[in-house]
Amino acid sequence: MKLFKLGLMAGMALSVIGVGAPALAEDVTITVWSIDGAQSVGPSDTFSKEFDEMDNGIKIDYRAMQFDEIVNETMRAFATGNAPDIVSLDNPDFALFSSRGAFLDITDMAAKSDVINADAYFEGPLNSVMWDGKLYGVGKYTDTIGIFYNKDMFAEAGIENPPKTWAEFEEYARKLVKPEDNVYGATISARGNEEGTFQFLPVIQMSGGSYKDVNTEGAREWLSMVKGMIDDGIMSRDVLSLGQWDSTGVFNSGNAAMAISGPWEIDRMVDDADFDWGVTLLPTFKEGDPRSSALGGYNLGILSTTKHPEEAFKTLEYFVSQDDRLFPEFGYLPTRGDVELTLSGIEKKDAALKIFQEQLKYAQPRGPHPEWQKISKALYDAEQAALTGQMTPDQALSQAQTTIDGIVK
Amino acid sequence: MRRILSSVRDGVGFDILLVSLTMIFLFALAGMPLVYNVMMSFQEVDMFNLGTFWRPFVGLENYQAVLSQPEFGLVMKNTAFFVFGSIAGQFSLGFLLAIFFMAKFPFASTIRGVFLVSWVMPGLVVGALWGWILAGDFGVLNAILKSLGIIDSTLFWKSDPSLSIWAVTMANIWLGLAFNMMLLSVGLAAIPRDVYEAAELDGANAFQRFTSITVPMMRATIGAVLALGLIYTLQQFDLFPAITEGGPANSSSVAQYWAWQRSFVLFDFAKGATISMMMLIFVFIASVVYVASTRHEVRE
Repeated sequence: MKLFKLGLMAGMALSVIGVGAPALAEDVTITVWSIDGAQSVGPSDTFSKEFDEMDNGIKIDYRAMQFDEIVNETMRAFATGNAPDIVSLDNPDFALFSSRGAFLDITDMAAKSDVINADAYFEGPLNSVMWDGKLYGVGKYTDTIGIFYNKDMFAEAGIENPPKTWAEFEEYARKLVKPEDNVYGATISARGNEEGTFQFLPVIQMSGGSYKDVNTEGAREWLSMVKGMIDDGIMSRDVLSLGQWDSTGVFNSGNAAMAISGPWEIDRMVDDADFDWGVTLLPTFKEGDPRSSALGGYNLGILSTTKHPEEAFKTLEYFVSQDDRLFPEFGYLPTRGDVELTLSGIEKKDAALKIFQEQLKYAQPRGPHPEWQKISKALYDAEQAALTGQMTPDQALSQAQTTIDGIVK
Repeated sequence: MRRILSSVRDGVGFDILLVSLTMIFLFALAGMPLVYNVMMSFQEVDMFNLGTFWRPFVGLENYQAVLSQPEFGLVMKNTAFFVFGSIAGQFSLGFLLAIFFMAKFPFASTIRGVFLVSWVMPGLVVGALWGWILAGDFGVLNAILKSLGIIDSTLFWKSDPSLSIWAVTMANIWLGLAFNMMLLSVGLAAIPRDVYEAAELDGANAFQRFTSITVPMMRATIGAVLALGLIYTLQQFDLFPAITEGGPANSSSVAQYWAWQRSFVLFDFAKGATISMMMLIFVFIASVVYVASTRHEVRE
């Protein structure tokens, strides 16, 4: 009984406070979902907190989600009418929502904005937020892949320059391998999930294909080459099950001379690798051939069910206005070319950054396609079937092509 | 009115109340989701109608689509291998251990209790554990096999398509071993000692005692253990994402993992529901066997 009275009094006191501060009632709350802050601090949670604390009539309700859950949760919330106002998605998942009008078309708002300028964005990230010529969001940050190489091992083997072509990549790997010391020539990730596709699709693209047209001569050649390297012990067979983070871990511990991976590895490599290392662009088939690379990173979009599109757009503008902090504070690359990058002063890190920035010019998005995950599964299944010898590269890729044709139509 | 009340308190009304509570509970928590799943497998599902019940009806289209997936045959083959391999391994090793612990030796029951550790651990932990044991270049199992001189080259349990389904099956046998052993121990303990003594006096050897006393008298228990084993194995999901992720190239993918992957990785909820409907048939058969074998037990 006493407790009840106490509760009643507290309730009354609260309501009095509510009456006493009418400004609070007018605040608009914008809900933001992202994976930042779930494992470690990232841009979305940091910027949300800052924007929330500003006295501008907008409150931010931020929720950190797990990587595996964010798409499912957003879909379910959208279907039941409880969707957030802003969500941040991995770029290949973005078209699932934009193609169905689940994201708000911000083409006109962006045209009027002083902060968001669609022309400033790199082509790859921009394509991943476009659908049918309309703008549905902005890139949050981006990444891509290149080749990390162990300069000490290269010097020891008498190799002067990092590989420029895939043929050199194989030749050097075969020279660098040392089975007696548990050192592999190279390591990649051909895992049976999006990571496998992430590293394999650039090969298809640079040999003249695309996600719609996968059975290229270059892709077949590359699969035979990698299969040969696995069979001969130049690469571990475990590249089929290792993710990029674990695969690069093998490189960091000095058990592989080269690794295909991305800028998210740099900070850990600076700490872990006790050898001299460098980064080079992803090889091409012949010198001077067109380049390609993977486009990673997250996008931000406003969901079409939002009740406060203007406030949500202001929130988005604030996030974009902080893009120059992405690299120094979080180690992420901005998606636009007009951001001056502050260098870190760590020699290897800054050198790697320059290469990755150049590589970004060639980065192409996965899709965009609303059923991207199914296309992706066809690709990584084909890669794995060919690398394990269950099918020839041609059989595997033509099976993938049949599946993809059924999806793309 | 009073009569109804008193019937509820003590009489047929009370029985009906108890049964209906259970039925409501069952219907809400098992029946509804099941009906929902059946509906989904005949519908076109996308993110706009995910929250509704009435969606465009597509007949058997989802079933045809699942059957025509290139990996369908492989997944079914893997499921059969995983289910029968797991049950055979769990049951035979479990039976051997149960018989072993029936022997009287110091700390027999304590050691038997320790075996339960594998059963009380969460599946994801077991998966992570076996993930490390079965790792290729730096795995524990490879190190042991190499130092014993059984193999000279590394076996890539997780990345070799001819080994990957073995890897998950091995982990699952370990996981379900204790459960099988416990149930079978209970069955063994229920067989009266004097039957064995009489047989021994008549000159029956150990093997004869096993085949003509133990096995027939354990029939009900064995039926129940095998049926439960089938159900648990078809439910086993945690080991797959933790060890092989169904790879490489679906070589260790089984129906339950495939259904999850369709729904929550590829966002194709209708096909996911369709695959689980197909599995339901198998689980239903197992349930019938289980119910039949336990009913037999009660009658005795």
